[in-house]
Amino acid sequence: MVTILVVLLLNFLIIHLAPGDPVRILSGMDNPSEEVMEALRVKYGLDKPLSVQMFNYFAALLRGDLGFSISYNLPVAKLISEKVGPTLLLTFSSAVIGLILGASSALFSSRRRVVWIDTVLSFLSYVFYSMPSFWLGLILILVFAVNLHVFPTSGIVSLREPQIGIMYYLDVLWHSFLPVTCLALINFPIYYRITHSSISSVLHENFIGLFRATGMDERKIFGKYISRNAILPTITIFGLQIGYAVTGATLVETVFAWPGMGRLLINAVFRRDYPLLMGIYLIMSVSVAIAMIVVDVLYAVLDPRIRYT
Amino acid sequence: MRWRRTRRTISVVLCGVLVFLLSVSCAPPPQPGQHKGGTLIVATQDDPLGFNPDWRTDDYAYPINQNIFNKLVTLDANYNVVPDLATKWEISPDGKTYTFYLAENVKWHDGEPFTSADVKWTFDTIIQEKGNARDHLQSVESIECPSATTVVFKLKRPDAPFLGFLAWYGTFVMPKHIYEGTDWTTNPANEKPIGTGPFKFVEWVRGDHVTLERNDDYFKGSPQLDKVIFRVITDANTALQAFYAGEVDLSEVRPPLSEIPKLQQTEGVKVVLRPMPSRYYLSFNLRKDPWANLNVRKAVALAINRQEIVDKALSGIGEPAEGFYTPAISWAYNDENVLPPRDVEEANRLLDEAGFKLGADGIRFKADLLYFSGSEWSNIATIIKANLKEIGIDVNLVQLEIGAWMERVQDNHDFDITILNGFQGPDPDNLRMRVGTGGTLELGGYSNKDVDRLLDEAAALTDVEQRGKKYKEIQKILSEELPIVPLAEVTDVWVFHDYVHGLSIEEGLGKVTFNDFSLVWLEK
Repeated sequence: MVTILVVLLLNFLIIHLAPGDPVRILSGMDNPSEEVMEALRVKYGLDKPLSVQMFNYFAALLRGDLGFSISYNLPVAKLISEKVGPTLLLTFSSAVIGLILGASSALFSSRRRVVWIDTVLSFLSYVFYSMPSFWLGLILILVFAVNLHVFPTSGIVSLREPQIGIMYYLDVLWHSFLPVTCLALINFPIYYRITHSSISSVLHENFIGLFRATGMDERKIFGKYISRNAILPTITIFGLQIGYAVTGATLVETVFAWPGMGRLLINAVFRRDYPLLMGIYLIMSVSVAIAMIVVDVLYAVLDPRIRYT
Repeated sequence: MRWRRTRRTISVVLCGVLVFLLSVSCAPPPQPGQHKGGTLIVATQDDPLGFNPDWRTDDYAYPINQNIFNKLVTLDANYNVVPDLATKWEISPDGKTYTFYLAENVKWHDGEPFTSADVKWTFDTIIQEKGNARDHLQSVESIECPSATTVVFKLKRPDAPFLGFLAWYGTFVMPKHIYEGTDWTTNPANEKPIGTGPFKFVEWVRGDHVTLERNDDYFKGSPQLDKVIFRVITDANTALQAFYAGEVDLSEVRPPLSEIPKLQQTEGVKVVLRPMPSRYYLSFNLRKDPWANLNVRKAVALAINRQEIVDKALSGIGEPAEGFYTPAISWAYNDENVLPPRDVEEANRLLDEAGFKLGADGIRFKADLLYFSGSEWSNIATIIKANLKEIGIDVNLVQLEIGAWMERVQDNHDFDITILNGFQGPDPDNLRMRVGTGGTLELGGYSNKDVDRLLDEAAALTDVEQRGKKYKEIQKILSEELPIVPLAEVTDVWVFHDYVHGLSIEEGLGKVTFNDFSLVWLEK
């Protein structure tokens, strides 16, 4: 709770210290009217000193009011709630797929200890880790949408032939395939490298040597002891990723014209829409905090040494 | 018996064939009306902020609003004023009374009749609530409605640019019965607009698309298309790929200029490049030294390679700017008082004369060049930096996004030189905003009494030729004093598939405004 408060306070100050005035941007470059701008400043409370603005913001927050977006002229909560669904679909599924893909290939290569598989997977993980997400996105669009015509280039639903019922959901899944793949490939190296290195360190632990010495089945050692110990750092990273997932993968959303929170965030930054930005940051801090709590609980489940009283 | 039956069958078949052949041979050639139906998908770069068309600047709502609403008069793709809700109009000899005769039987999308009261309410509200077009309505004294189909604007003074600005931005006629007595900034209709236009609003999925459907009661005749969908695609590369993949029929997201040659060679794709009354130009901060020195400004103007800007920064699309107003509005363009050709030697001489001696490091002085983010702007700025290096000016490139640029340049005047562009129509009175004393886009602190006087005189005249002379005189002064240096003309880029017909730049020329798709039909 304290962490969230501190984060919000910092966000508030940083956002308000950035150059650019939301009302000025809203009034347009060639047509500002002092009178109108003043009226808007009063309407959004921007005429008051920063400390008063901050107090008012936190007071409203306590009442559950996220504020009113300056540029969209709509409640922040409404704008955010519209975007949460598409973003979660994208980021949550790609994080899960990335985790499964990364962790399982790390487990596989460590178990088999075949040099070339290890080399190929390490090479791929470096490639995807160093690849800018928007570039990978464009390559996927070019190959699978423009040349092979198997997936749409962008968007979340087919507009030319709108679908209903179950077909609608299938249509959304079809549209989400490329962006989810893109994000999952970008996430893959993180999970792969972390799982791989923690397996390597667990492999050299004394207790593993002991199990081997007692003649325990290698499959059991790996499945029950090594992987369970090695997965803990991966879970931490997964928790953090999920926390950030709520605000979306801005670049990937932009490249795939995905109507999610990431795009809303970019627009809010460019328009200096303070309430909207604060709202998005609030959701982000809260979700990171929740994700961390869930991770701690998972730790306790996976690692019998950790028990909370 | 059997033969008789066979004969009858043969004759029926023959008659049928004959009727078919006759009907085919007599059929008229394909007309737009025969291609009714279909959905036009238009790529647009960003989400609208809302659908109150007159409240504030919203360039992404503007193309959509052109299909939902009408104005009294509008601009065609050649920037000429053409009828819209007003079928004809009269201007009194003293230039102070404008009488508009409105189309009959016009209905709002909710079925209510449209009358002159809607027009009066709209313009009264724009003036009162400080809507986007308020500056251009300053000359309005009163608006009267002698009948349901007649509106009279009484002006305080003759105002020749009035009609052009009425046809431009923030002047859509809004429904009085929906908005009267409410706050026009929060009225629910701002999210579900009701207009008189060719298409009715259906849905707005924020950040994704806006859907419109045909208005069968449209007073100019039912449109051809069933639906128009504006799809938001922020990334220009993605928009281009969506266009290539056929997911988009017309792209309003300008493709990267370097892609245009490839698009032009793609089968089934039409690229139309049109000169636009907008230009890139450089503005000096005259409040600061050394920019107050005319010789320095002259040197900069002589050093910049405008052809290189077009060739490299704009991929050869467009023309280098020569004069001091857009040539697209030819009656007001002065083609005699233009920029001199590039002359680096002379530029160096002028700087020497001004007392800015070349240092040992080859630099006379440093300057901050402020510009917007975006590849086009970066490229222009980089060329200017290289050009000015040749005359010993060390340019520091400062890239800013729009909000930060506005604060530094427009509000705090904290810059040396900056580059910008912008629409300079529909009337040359637009120069007032850019070079008139205190103009909202006058960045450098330039003030010339003669320019201001000429702007006022030109606005009070009704004769186009006489007005043209005044504006040409202004351009002569600008060419001598150089508060700005024009760089290149902006080109309007239209990219669409060849099965799209009836656009405002083709068959719709002179009939509909830029993004009005009421005459569009799809050949497929």
